[in-house]
Amino acid sequence: MSSQQRRPPDPVAVLRGHRASVMDLSFHPYQPLLFTGSSDGELRIWDTIQHRTVSSAGVHNAAHGIASVACTAKRVISQGRDGTVKCWDIEDGGLSRVPSVTIKTNSYHFCKLSLVKRPQSCSTRMDGVRFRDGDERGVKGTTDEENTQDEGSKYVAVAGEQTSEVEIWDLNTAERFARLPQSCTGGSSGMCMAIQAFSPSESQGFLNVLVGYEDGSMLWWDIRNPGVPITTVKFHSEPVLSLCVDGSCNGGISGAADEKVVLYSLDPSMGTCMIKKEIVLERPGISSTSIRPDGKIFATAGWDHRVRVYNYRKGNALAILKYHHATCNAVSYSADCKLMASGSEDTTVALWELYPPQT
Amino acid sequence: MEKKGPKTRSEVEDKLLEKVGEAIATVKKAKHVDQVICALHSLAVLLFPLDASLLSGAIDEQCREQIISSEAPSAAERREWWQAFYGGAAFSTFARFLLIDLASNWLACFPLSARKHVYDVFFVHGLATEVVQTLVPCLQKSGGDDLDVKAIHSNTERLLILCLLENNGVLQVAREFGGSCQSEDYINENLKPAVSRVAQIVASIPDKAQLRAPTSLSSHLFFKQVTVQLLSLAEGRNTNLLDGAFLKSDMNGTLLFVGETFSRICRRGSVDVLLSEIIPQILGHVRSLLSSNIEPLVSDVFESNPESQFWLNVIQAMSDSYAVERMSEQLLHQLASERVSDVEAYWILWLLFHRVSQYQISVRSMFSDKFLLWKVFPVCCLRWILQFAILERPPYGNSLAKGHNTRNFLDTLQHLVAVWSKKEFVQSAPVEQQTYVSAAVGLSLEKMSKEELDETKDVMHSILKGVSCRLESPNHLVRKMASSVALVFSKVIDPKNPLYLDDSCTGDTLDWEFGLSTPEKVTSGTSNCIQQGIDNPEASTTSVLEKDLTRKASDGISSNGKSKNRKSYEPKLVDPDEIIDPVTLNYESGSDDNENDDASESSDVSSESSLQPYDLSDDDTDLKRKFSQLVDVVAALRKSDDADGVENALNVAEKLVRASPDELKHVASDLVRTLVQVRCSDLAVEGEEDSAEDKRQRALVALLVTCPLESLETLNKLLYSPSIDVSQRIMILDVMTEAAQELAHTKIIKPKQAKALISTTSETQAWFLPSDIGPAGAGPWKEISESKSLLNWTNRYERELPSKPGQIKRGKTRQRSLKSADWQEAQIEWSHNKFPVYAAAFMLPAMQGFDKKRQGVDLLDRDFLVLGKLIYMLGVCMKCAAMHPEASVLAAPFLDMLRSREICHHKEAYVRKAALFAASCVLLSLHPSYVATSLVEGNVEISSGLEWVRTWALHVAESDSDRECYTMAMACVQLHAEMALQASRALESAESTSMAKKNIGLPSSLSKGTIIIPHSNVMKY
Repeated sequence: MSSQQRRPPDPVAVLRGHRASVMDLSFHPYQPLLFTGSSDGELRIWDTIQHRTVSSAGVHNAAHGIASVACTAKRVISQGRDGTVKCWDIEDGGLSRVPSVTIKTNSYHFCKLSLVKRPQSCSTRMDGVRFRDGDERGVKGTTDEENTQDEGSKYVAVAGEQTSEVEIWDLNTAERFARLPQSCTGGSSGMCMAIQAFSPSESQGFLNVLVGYEDGSMLWWDIRNPGVPITTVKFHSEPVLSLCVDGSCNGGISGAADEKVVLYSLDPSMGTCMIKKEIVLERPGISSTSIRPDGKIFATAGWDHRVRVYNYRKGNALAILKYHHATCNAVSYSADCKLMASGSEDTTVALWELYPPQT
Repeated sequence: MEKKGPKTRSEVEDKLLEKVGEAIATVKKAKHVDQVICALHSLAVLLFPLDASLLSGAIDEQCREQIISSEAPSAAERREWWQAFYGGAAFSTFARFLLIDLASNWLACFPLSARKHVYDVFFVHGLATEVVQTLVPCLQKSGGDDLDVKAIHSNTERLLILCLLENNGVLQVAREFGGSCQSEDYINENLKPAVSRVAQIVASIPDKAQLRAPTSLSSHLFFKQVTVQLLSLAEGRNTNLLDGAFLKSDMNGTLLFVGETFSRICRRGSVDVLLSEIIPQILGHVRSLLSSNIEPLVSDVFESNPESQFWLNVIQAMSDSYAVERMSEQLLHQLASERVSDVEAYWILWLLFHRVSQYQISVRSMFSDKFLLWKVFPVCCLRWILQFAILERPPYGNSLAKGHNTRNFLDTLQHLVAVWSKKEFVQSAPVEQQTYVSAAVGLSLEKMSKEELDETKDVMHSILKGVSCRLESPNHLVRKMASSVALVFSKVIDPKNPLYLDDSCTGDTLDWEFGLSTPEKVTSGTSNCIQQGIDNPEASTTSVLEKDLTRKASDGISSNGKSKNRKSYEPKLVDPDEIIDPVTLNYESGSDDNENDDASESSDVSSESSLQPYDLSDDDTDLKRKFSQLVDVVAALRKSDDADGVENALNVAEKLVRASPDELKHVASDLVRTLVQVRCSDLAVEGEEDSAEDKRQRALVALLVTCPLESLETLNKLLYSPSIDVSQRIMILDVMTEAAQELAHTKIIKPKQAKALISTTSETQAWFLPSDIGPAGAGPWKEISESKSLLNWTNRYERELPSKPGQIKRGKTRQRSLKSADWQEAQIEWSHNKFPVYAAAFMLPAMQGFDKKRQGVDLLDRDFLVLGKLIYMLGVCMKCAAMHPEASVLAAPFLDMLRSREICHHKEAYVRKAALFAASCVLLSLHPSYVATSLVEGNVEISSGLEWVRTWALHVAESDSDRECYTMAMACVQLHAEMALQASRALESAESTSMAKKNIGLPSSLSKGTIIIPHSNVMKY
C-alpha cells in the first residue's frame, strides 16, 4: 500500500517550441526522434535524447493546421486539415523540402489518419510475408515490414470526402484504393471520428479497419468485403474519438467524448468484438489513446488535461499524470516502450518514463 | 309559631333596646373600667353563653359579685334575644357605641380576658353579615372632637381580622346568605342587592384599611384568606349547603355571594391571588376524578360528582362579565405555566365554563371570538380553547365522533381564516397577534378533514389568499407562518403529499409558536432576528442570514449525500486492490486464445510488481479557468451556458476589481451590468447558490468602491429598468448600501485608489523605499546615513509620522490658527471617509422617480420591499456622509421624499420602519452648527423638515400598531431632542460670537427677530 502514496512522476522532459496546440505526435520506429504536428501547420522533429528540436517546417497551411502525424522508418505522413495528406522523406537533419507524395483527400475534418498496424509476431523482422491481392479489391497487407522498410506502410486510412466514409489510399501512388462502406448508403451513424487500420494474422494480411462514429458506434470492416462490416458494436454514448488496437491485434481500447474508456477483445476469426472492461472516468472526453507496444499498459489523453495510465490487462488505473494545463490531444508510446509522449493544447509536448519495460 | 314569632320578637326588641340604652348610659357615667365591664357583661350575658369565672380574675371585688350574681337566661331565651339583637336596630346602635365611644375611651384599659369576653364577643359570635356591615364603615371614621381616631381604626382592624379571618367570618356570611334562602322563600330581588352589597363591603376592606394596618389586611393576604374560606365550600362536607339550590338550577345565596366576591376580587386586580387558590383545588379535583376512572371520562361523571357542583355553578354566579373574562384569561395563563396536561385542562375548562356557556352567549363568544382573535395566549392554551369551545369534545383523539358540533367548528374556522387572510391584518396586527391567529388557523386545520373542507365555501380561497400575501412579507416570521399553514392545509387536502414551502419546516410537528415564546428551545436565530429587527429595519437581511444558516445545514446533508454518491463509484477507479476475476476475463475474451491469455497471464505475474499504481488522488483545482483580465471576466459572465466559466469568473471578479487595474474605468459599466444580470441560481450547484450570490455581491461592492462614478451610473440606470426583477433590485440596493458603508469607513488598504484621492507624490517614490502605507500625512522616507561602519548592508529609513488624530485636534489648533488652510488640508487627509464625495451620486438618481409606476416597477405598492430597501439605503448614505457638508445639502431633498404621504404613511410596517430609520439617520448626520445656521438664515426646507420629523415620529409612537415602529419612533424622537439640544448650543455660541464681533455683520435676523427652535419650543430673543 505504500506504493499508493507515491506521487505520480513529473515528465522527464518537456519539449517547448510549438506556437500552437500540439495536435498529434509520433515516435520514429527506431531512431530517437519524435515528430509532432501543431494546429498552425508546423511539423517539428525532436531529438528525444537531447530534448531538442532537430528541425521544424511548416508543412501545412497555417490556417488549417495539422490534424495528424504518422511515421514510418523513412517517411513521415502528415495530415492537414486543408484536405491533403503529405508524405515526407526523412533525410538527414530533417525532412525533404517538398513532399514526396501529396494526396488530395478533400476531407477537411479532424479524424486522424491511421497507418496499418500489424501483429507484433509478424512484424518482428519477418520479412517477405506477402499477401497478394487476389482481385482488384483485395488488399495486399504490406510487402515489406513496417518497421524496417518504408514500403511496408503502403496504405493509409483516412476519413473520406463524405464524412461518414473511410477511404484507403495508396501512399505511393496517391490513389484512392477503397471506400468503406462502398455504397454510399448515407451514414446513419454520423461522421466517422476515429480510424484504426490493422492487419490481423487471421485475415491473411488483408486490411481490417476499425472505425468509430459520431453516435458512439464502432464498425469493423474487412477490406475484402467492403459492403458489409464484420461487426457493429456500440460501447459509447458519445462520439468515439480514439481507437487503438494492441500489438497482437486481439484487442483494443476506445476513448470517446463520454465518460468511459472501453477495453475490448477482437476475434478476427469469429468476427466478434466483445467488451472486456469499462473504465469510468471522472470527467468526460478522451481525445487519444495509446497502447504500449508490449501490451502491458496504455495511456489516455484527456480533455481534463490529464494523461492517465492504466494496466492494459486488468484495466485498473495506475497513474494520473498532471502536467498539461490544457486539453491533451495526443499520447503515444515509443516503439521500445521506454518513452511516452503527450501533446497538448498548451503547446508543449511532455516526455514521460513510467513503468519501464523489463527486459 | 308564625303569628307568635313576630309579636314576641318586637317585644323582645323593645326590651333589648332598653337594655342597650341602659348599658350605654351606665358606661357613659362610669368612672372606672370595671363598671364598664359590668355594664357590657350585663348585656352580653343575655345573648351569649358566658362563663363569668373567666372574667373574674381581672376585675375588682364589687363588680365580680355583680357579674357572678347576674343570672343567665336559658338557651332558648338566649337564642330569642340573639335573634332580636342582630335582626333589629339594637346591634347597629350598640355596635357603633362599642366601636367608637368605647374604643376610644375605655378599651385600652380593658384587661385582655374582659376584652375578649364582653367586648369582642358581640362581633365574633354575632350575625356575620351585620357585623361586617357595621365594622367596615368604621374603618374610615373621621375623627370627632374627643375621639381617638387611631384607636378606633386599629380596634376595628383588629376586630375585622378576628371576625373575618380568624373565625372564618366570610364563610359564615356565605352560609348566612344560603340559610336565609333556605329557611324562607326569600325574595330574590331583595337577596341580590344585599349579597352584592356585602360582597362589595368585604372586597373593599383592603382598600379601606389604614396604611399601618396589619399585613393580613393587605389585599394580597386578605383576598387569599377570603378565597380559601369560600373555596372550602367546594369541599365535600360543605356541599350539602348548596344542594337545594342546584336542583332548582337557581342561584342560592351562598353561591351568589361567592360569585359576587370573586367578581369583586377580580375587579380589584387580585385575580392572580384568586386563581392561585382556585387552580390547585380544581386541579386536584379533576385529577382525583381522572385517576379514579380508567376509561376516558364522560361528562356525566363530572356532573354527578357532588364536589363538582360548586365548580359547575360558580362562574354562573359571577354576573360581572368583565370579571369573568379577566378570570378566564388568568386561568388559562396560569394553567399554561403549571404545565397542565391537555386532558386536565379540558376538564377544568369544562367544569367551570360548560354550564355557563350554554346559557350565556357572551361567555361563548368570549371563547370563540375574543380569545381566538383578540387575545394572545400560549399555544397550549389555544389548543385547549379550540378543544373546549370549538370542538366541544375532550381531547381523546378518536373516542368521540364529531357529531353535532362540526357546524360550530366550521363557522369558527371560517371566521378565523377570513380574518387571517386579510392583507390589512398582515400589515397592521402586531407580530404576536399574527402568530397567535396563525397558530389558531393551523391547529384548527389540523383537526379538519377533507370532507369538511369541501363543505365550506371560502376556507380554501381565504387560506390561499392569506398564504400568498404572507409569503411576500419581508418578515421571516410571517413567511414562516404562511408556509406552516400551507403545509397543514396541504395535508388536509392530501395527507400523502405535504407541501413544503420552506426548507426549515420539515418535521412532522410544527412549531406553532414559531420560536417566539419557548425559551428552552434553541431559537437564537429567530430571537436574534427579532432583536435585530428592533434595532434595525433590516430584519429581512437577518432573516436571510438565518435562512442561510438553515440552508447551509441542509447543504451539509445534501453534500454528504453527494460525497457518498461519489464514493460509491470512485473505488472503481481508485481501488488498486480491485481484481478482475481472470476467469471471467477468459470467458469474455473468447475461447480460442486461452493458451495465449494464460501465457501472458503468467508473464504478467512476474511483471506485476512493476505495475504498482501511483497515488491516484485527483482534484480539479487546476481545471478551473483562471482569469487575469476583467474583459475575460465580463465575457465569461455573459456566457450563461457555461456555468463553470461563470462561477470561476465570479470567484475572481472581486479580486480583480480590487486590484483596480487601469482598464477598470472602461470595463466598470459593462461589468456592473453583467454582474447584475448573472443568474446565480441557474448556474450554481444546488445549495451553493448563496455563495455564488455572495461573490457576485462582493464583486459589485468592490466595483462601487473602486470605481464609484461609472458603476453608479449604470446601477442607477438598472435600478428602475424593467429588465430586472425585484430580487435584482434589492440586490442592487444592498450592494449600494454596503459600498456606501465601505467607502465611509475606508481603512481597507487600497494603495492606488487611496493615493489617487489623497496625494499624488507616492508614485514618484523610488522602488527601494519602504512602501508608504501608514497613517496619512506621514512624511516621505529618508535614508539614515550610518557612517560608523563601512560595510553597510542594511539601509535604514525613517519618516515623520503624524501624531494620533485625537492629539492633532487638541491643543495645536490655537498655534496653527494662522495657517488655517494648512490645517484644513491636514484634516481632510485625516478623514478617511471617502463617501461624501460620492453621496450625491449615490442618492440623487435613486431618489428620482421612486414614485413613478412603470413597466415592472411599482415601488409604492407592489414592490414595497424595494422601496423599504431604497429608503434604508438612502438612510445609510446619509449616515455615511454624516457631519459633512454634503449631508446638509442632501438632507433637504431626502426629508422631502420621506415626507411624501406614500412613504411616511405607507401601509406596510416595513416601509415605515425604513423611513423612521432614515429620518433618524438624517438627524444624526446633520451638523448642529448647520442646523443652527439654517434656522438663523431661515432655511425653510431644513427647519420645517426637522419639525416634521418630530411630529411624525411622535405620531407614529402614539398610533402605530407595529411595536418595532413604535420603538424606532421613540428613538427617533430622542435623537431629535439631542439634535435640538446641540443645535441650540451652537446657536448660543454663535450668538455670543456675534455679540463680540458685531462688526462682522451676522445675519441681521438674529439680532432682531425671534427664532423659534421648532423642536424645543423655546423662544430665543
